[in-house]
Amino acid sequence: MKRFNLPDLGEGLQEAEIVRWHVAVGDRVEVDQPMVAMETAKAVVEVPAPFAGIVTTLHGKAGDTIATGAPLVDFQADGTGDTVDAGVAQGGVVGHMPETDEVIATGAAAAGARAAARRQRVLPAVRDVALKLGVDIESLRGNGPGGTITLDDVLAAKTAPSYAMSAPLAINTPSVMRPAIGLTETGELEVLRSLRRAMAQSMTLSRDSVMECTVFDDADIEGWLPGGDYTGRLLRAISSGCRAEPGLNAWFDGANQGRRLFQPIHVGIAVDTPDGLLVPVIRDVANRDAAQLRAEVNRLKSGARDRSLPPADLKDFTIMLSNFGVMAGRYATPVVVPPAVAILGSGRIARDVVATERGIEAHRRIPLSLTFDHRCVTGGEAVRFLAAVIADLQLPA
Amino acid sequence: MPRVTLVESVNLALARALADDPDVVVVGEDVGVNGGVFRATVGLQERFGKLRVQDTPLAEGLIGGMSLGMAAQGLKVVAEIQFMGFLYPALDQIANHMARLRHRTRGRLTCPVVIRMPHGGGIHAPEHHSESLEVLLCHHAGLRVVCPSTPAAAYGLLLAAIRDPDPVLFLEPTRLYRLAKQDLLDDGIALALDKAQVLRQGDDITVVSWGAMLHETKQAAERLAQEKISCEVIDLTSLSPIDHDTILESVAHTGRLVIVHEAARNAGLGAEIAATVAERGLYDLLAPIQRVTGYDTVMPYFAMERAYIPGVARIVDAVRTTMKA
Repeated sequence: MKRFNLPDLGEGLQEAEIVRWHVAVGDRVEVDQPMVAMETAKAVVEVPAPFAGIVTTLHGKAGDTIATGAPLVDFQADGTGDTVDAGVAQGGVVGHMPETDEVIATGAAAAGARAAARRQRVLPAVRDVALKLGVDIESLRGNGPGGTITLDDVLAAKTAPSYAMSAPLAINTPSVMRPAIGLTETGELEVLRSLRRAMAQSMTLSRDSVMECTVFDDADIEGWLPGGDYTGRLLRAISSGCRAEPGLNAWFDGANQGRRLFQPIHVGIAVDTPDGLLVPVIRDVANRDAAQLRAEVNRLKSGARDRSLPPADLKDFTIMLSNFGVMAGRYATPVVVPPAVAILGSGRIARDVVATERGIEAHRRIPLSLTFDHRCVTGGEAVRFLAAVIADLQLPA
Repeated sequence: MPRVTLVESVNLALARALADDPDVVVVGEDVGVNGGVFRATVGLQERFGKLRVQDTPLAEGLIGGMSLGMAAQGLKVVAEIQFMGFLYPALDQIANHMARLRHRTRGRLTCPVVIRMPHGGGIHAPEHHSESLEVLLCHHAGLRVVCPSTPAAAYGLLLAAIRDPDPVLFLEPTRLYRLAKQDLLDDGIALALDKAQVLRQGDDITVVSWGAMLHETKQAAERLAQEKISCEVIDLTSLSPIDHDTILESVAHTGRLVIVHEAARNAGLGAEIAATVAERGLYDLLAPIQRVTGYDTVMPYFAMERAYIPGVARIVDAVRTTMKA
């Protein structure tokens, strides 16, 4: 049995009166659970249980006065031991101080001479950038004050290898950055040729000049009649879009801050080949019927694959189509290739759950992603174009 | 070698100082006849008499003022404030006079006063009995603020504080008064007042704390060691001045820092430590500094105090977060 004596509930108070018991004989109490409200000369104080156990005796009832240090509650306590009181042994103290059998070893851990870790001096923000770019900070040599690694050092280390891939672009790469990243682990340097180099350059040009903005939507083609030509319908839809908003069938001349709108619609189609991306052009899409469009698409695709297309077929498109969804991908942010100002991407067709007036249905839908150059095309023009594209695509034939 | 609790080591140091130096005087509420509400001064009045160990009225402003006057006239006063929440009336004497006596008299007078007081919660006490107000004191030039976390440190630092010619605020972690014991030789040897202690060496992260929070901090370090996270635990010990060099050396080694204190976060001492590491050790940091602290609210009564005082889980969590950054 453990007996809990009334501790001093104020400083030096001799007694306290029981206001109300919160527990009864037989109750199980947990540590810190309020057991009884006691009124002293100062205040009403809740007395918590000093340990867990079963209450076996309450020494007093409401209204009784208990002397400080006199028995208050007996417990059948968890564990062993017979600590009699918290009040007397600890002094005239308010509350209860925890006690354990812990013995503290004397002597602090020797703070022996220890070299600071040899780390690069680098600001956390710069270290964070390096982490995101995958640049190994420890391998760099800092050019900042006291050898500090600067943001420029990290960015140079990041761009050095990719610039080094293409000899003509390697100019101005600081020589100190050459060994930064282990190229030996990535295989022999493959110098980009023809299509891939052209792609690298046109993408870089696009990134550096175009202000791209992409909107997404879907065209519901559940109502299509059998035998619809997918690419042909997309080309026709682009014609409809250009009729609604001629501003997307245009070239933008950033240097002279001007745009040229085109009457004919020449659609560049992105074709994936083993050598890289090729963009053959279908001329005057608006004035060809479905069969002519299909024939022209077939000719250009096969010519692209065997690289037999003459240069004339590969230039001067006024708008682009990327039908990437034949492989995978629902939506994308297709990249506008200047001087054109818009590209429409069509993703993988799938059956989507749609809410119709008749209830929940599964419809085949084409996901559409339209990127436009916001320097030249307004958001309103872009979405009106997209609305016309969708309206055309949703016609049965 | 006696095995003593922290409160017993305080008693040993007081007895040693009273025996060694006839100028030492102990004053405070209930320190004489009663022996102190925590038993820190038990037996001292019987042994050294009512002139050397004096009960005062229940008036902290008076305790501050009489200590100041006695010190100015050459006595070495050890005053007790019964609970840190009762300190406020004495602050005027401490901040406006004790801290300035040397400055005001151009060094002619010093103020050899030690003011002891329990610090922090965790003993299920009512209002005003569980405060952690160290920043009130640390902000004043001319005051030393010390907070031991072990019986041996309490003994050696209290002797050093009594022998120091200037005012020392001596914060005793209430929760640790009886929590653990330590073998202690009552040899009268003082410890350096302004040094932090490396309690545990580690390589991955530095965890700085003081007073009772070191109990949870050391447990957290144990738990983290099982996760292969090696914590270096620093007992700040001297809250003013702060031993920044020890912290900076450790951060230069580990690259990461978590500060744990029971006091509220806003304008807490953790902010001062974090700011100094940002100024002097930023290039060594691998991750943002984290603070694990009490909340910016009134210290709650006993039923909620465990929710307020940072627990092992909160410390472990902060260390893990810092290790991921």
